[in-house]
Amino acid sequence: MFGKMTRTQKIIVYGLLIILAIIIIFPIYYMVIISLKLPKDIYRTPSLLPVNATLANYEDLFFKEDFFKNIKNSFIVASLSTIISVSLSCMAAYSLVRLRYRLRTWIGRLILFTYLTPTALLFIPLSVIVARLQLGNTAHGLIFVYLTFAAPLSTWLLMGYFRGIPIDLEEQAMVDGATRLQAFYRITIPLAVPGLIAVSVFTFTAAWNELLLALIFITSPDLQTVPVSISYLITGDVFRFGLIMAGSVSAALPVIILYYLAQRFVVQGLTAGAVKG
Amino acid sequence: MTQRASQDIHTQIKGESRLTLRQMESLMGYVLVAPLLVCILVLVVYPFFFAIAISFTDRSIGAGGAFVGLANFEYLFNQAAFLETVRNTIVLVSVVQISKLFLGLGIAVLLNLPIRGRQFWRGLILIPWAMPAFVAFITWKLMFVPQGGALNYMLIESGLVTTHVDFLGTRELAMPSVIVALVWRGFPFWVITFLAGLQSVPEELYEAAALDGANAWQRFLNVSLPGIRHIVLIVILVSTIGTTNNFEGIFLLTGGGPSNSTMTFPVFAYYSLQNLNIGEAAAVGVAMLPIFAMLAFVVAILLQRDES
Amino acid sequence: MKRFWKYSLHICVFAILATLFIAPTVAQDDTFVYWGGLIFSETANDAFVARVEEWGELRGVDVEVVMINQNETVQRVSAAIEAGTMPDALDLGRDFMLLLSQNEQLEPLTDLYAEIGEEHGGWLESINSVVTSDDFGGEIYGIPYAASGANILYRRNDVLEPAGFPDAPETWEELSEMAAAHNPPENYGMGFALSNVGDANITTTMLQSYGGRIADDEGRNCTIDSEETREFLTWITGAFEAGLFPPGATTWDGAGDNTAYQSGNAVFIANPGSVYLNILENDPELADWTRYSALPGGPVMRVNPVSTVVRAVPVATSDAKKELANDLFKFLSEDEFAEEYMSAAIYGPALQSQVDFAVFSESPVHVGLLGAAINGTPGSFPDVDNASYAEYQTNFLTPNMVQRIVVDNVSIDDAIAETQASCQAIYDKNNE
Repeated sequence: MFGKMTRTQKIIVYGLLIILAIIIIFPIYYMVIISLKLPKDIYRTPSLLPVNATLANYEDLFFKEDFFKNIKNSFIVASLSTIISVSLSCMAAYSLVRLRYRLRTWIGRLILFTYLTPTALLFIPLSVIVARLQLGNTAHGLIFVYLTFAAPLSTWLLMGYFRGIPIDLEEQAMVDGATRLQAFYRITIPLAVPGLIAVSVFTFTAAWNELLLALIFITSPDLQTVPVSISYLITGDVFRFGLIMAGSVSAALPVIILYYLAQRFVVQGLTAGAVKG
Repeated sequence: MTQRASQDIHTQIKGESRLTLRQMESLMGYVLVAPLLVCILVLVVYPFFFAIAISFTDRSIGAGGAFVGLANFEYLFNQAAFLETVRNTIVLVSVVQISKLFLGLGIAVLLNLPIRGRQFWRGLILIPWAMPAFVAFITWKLMFVPQGGALNYMLIESGLVTTHVDFLGTRELAMPSVIVALVWRGFPFWVITFLAGLQSVPEELYEAAALDGANAWQRFLNVSLPGIRHIVLIVILVSTIGTTNNFEGIFLLTGGGPSNSTMTFPVFAYYSLQNLNIGEAAAVGVAMLPIFAMLAFVVAILLQRDES
Repeated sequence: MKRFWKYSLHICVFAILATLFIAPTVAQDDTFVYWGGLIFSETANDAFVARVEEWGELRGVDVEVVMINQNETVQRVSAAIEAGTMPDALDLGRDFMLLLSQNEQLEPLTDLYAEIGEEHGGWLESINSVVTSDDFGGEIYGIPYAASGANILYRRNDVLEPAGFPDAPETWEELSEMAAAHNPPENYGMGFALSNVGDANITTTMLQSYGGRIADDEGRNCTIDSEETREFLTWITGAFEAGLFPPGATTWDGAGDNTAYQSGNAVFIANPGSVYLNILENDPELADWTRYSALPGGPVMRVNPVSTVVRAVPVATSDAKKELANDLFKFLSEDEFAEEYMSAAIYGPALQSQVDFAVFSESPVHVGLLGAAINGTPGSFPDVDNASYAEYQTNFLTPNMVQRIVVDNVSIDDAIAETQASCQAIYDKNNE
């Protein structure tokens, strides 16, 4: 859009970028140094540099609080939620975009409608449902409940993405003898991979970071996910900040890495998904 | 080729089948969308109507609940705290969203320029959004807190102020502080989606505009903005709903205070629930609906104009 | 077409199998599920779990103990009641027990209460009055296992003694004078919360010690509008304006006062003992400098509210398990366990036999907790303990009243009028 940039323009641009970097990094940096401080130092010697840096908090977290188990649980729940949610929304998106039937527009609108209710109200009726299905305090119960927020957004984005893929390619395949679904599977899906990846990454993140529902539905310590176990570090009126920050850093790291690796697809997946949606 | 034509070809190839082609298509359509539909009906629609239903009762946890009509709503609207909640929610959400809009656009434009290490910057931008919400907010809390907080530490050490600044405890500063934290948390989503949108605007349009003599600013106004209009509307809708429903941010930072100056709907509903007054809590949620409905309605109209 | 279905079928089956394989089997119906109250002391928590499991072995019962964070109890219990997934027994705070019993969710345990009391020399007076309020309709719905919620006054002796104040303040006036006498920029005197948090309800205690009352003796009409209330508000807002409260006190969460004290920013705080445990472990220097005493009184009376934590049985529990629960509660009340638990926890005694435990004479904070348990005033004293009062407190109306004056600069009279109105609205609602 700018064409080539002049020197002053470059200085301004890079200057702004550096300011942006500071704004983003500073809280993270702060999080990390607190996670490296002993409890006494956190309160009595506030500073921006690590004073008496120690890995004691991380040791406590992983070996005493058994954080590894929580990471494992979160990973399982998030991955399975993602797989199931993406499969469901993929099928639904295809159906809503390529096929024609009477209730199509209404179902499409219903998906939009699902956003309007806040989770803070949903959790009570949800627990009634989960209990009736005997899914309380189980990993698969939680996975099922996570479809609440995961599936609608994925469907919506995938719908946009599929619309952006010209139907000619599928039709060509069908002329050549493929069934509609074969065409979908062999032609459309490979083209939709960026969109699928974007949707998978969003769903995974949302499931990994989700707190309220996990708190309500999981009671056994063995099944706790990462956000739940971090919130348990706050007992009553005591915030064990060192441990909390250590847990936070450990919780945020996998997702940040995931995004960094997948960012090209995330951006691409959104391009057609929401732009033309 | 149109959909219809392809169906005719299909018929020629496969021959007659028991159901008409149209019916087969319908059936397949419903079958494929069924799992999702079932999930939505069970997990969202049912709880939604459940919540609406109990907002008209005086139901308390564990106790049945008699129909009381609009009594919950009457009680709510007569509370000064509730009216302040409405005002705060509107102010907070508007300011946060507008900030995210300008920040998002600005930074997206910046990242769209031919700069080096674009991959790195895009990854960096996502960090505030990739971490769990409550982690982000606890960190901000630690930064705002007067005793031992980073911001106060920097301000005092640099000599800019002499006594602690109470970011979260004074009426004037509480709301802005909460806004800062919420914007920090949410703007990456806007940047990334706008960036995606900007990158899909065809280069030729810019070249054509440049040939017509438009400068950078005019190119932005007349080519970029219209090109991303669609995505801007969608992001506004999705993000606004999310921000209005935001509970952790405000609860962890100020708990709705001081003196209800940062109280919003979700936090208010939470306190109602602590009294086991689920009917009241539901009423708070239901009171939010008109705002969402209006927003969705406006955006839907704007989107439809796009599609035609 | 076939291949599409085959592949998607494979993925779905894989996903389902994976979840089935990984998730544990649903608990058997004859497991006894107990939701224990998680507290700060890990030693105490572990001792508790071990004890319940020991009981399980002795009786040949499968037990599952889940420790619940008190910050989440209300949400979890609410969801569990609605969904019908309540545990077979659980620990509760006394106020929540009141709310639940009014919604008929708890089993009356009056006989068991009497039995346990007899076996251990009787219940402490304050504990007894706290669980037998009129609002409970004559039944007792939980077995107390400790005196809780008693606030001990902590003070920085290293700051006060050199300033000429070696002794504990007897009245709130004295306290603010002591705070004012030594209050350089870094050392705010009065580390009391004024926010939307349980800690801040100490302002209600202060109000009552000045002779103010939330409601009348019938517990139906609010009496906030009074001279005593004005006197209290004048004192506290005066202290605030003199800069005696640490910045942030108006939006502190439950840990705000703890943080203030532990960063060396507050000279006085009121805390049941979690700070004590924390500084003992992490900051021995600060622990050295600290002295403990009972809460001061006001010009009219001394109010030192003490509450209790109880073990309760939901009505949904099966009859067989109710029997087991009774047995378990007796097992948990045995002195040998109670002593182990209380020396690690920060509670006061509930039974006479517990008064003589070593910890209550050896540890300075526990001496204070013992004093509070014996001399403390029950729950809402002098006000009537009912659902309206409980709701008044959970809405933090007294701290809000103070906030209105110091944050919004509303006049004392206006703030009183507003709070009176909100209070009456609550009482009217619950009076129907």
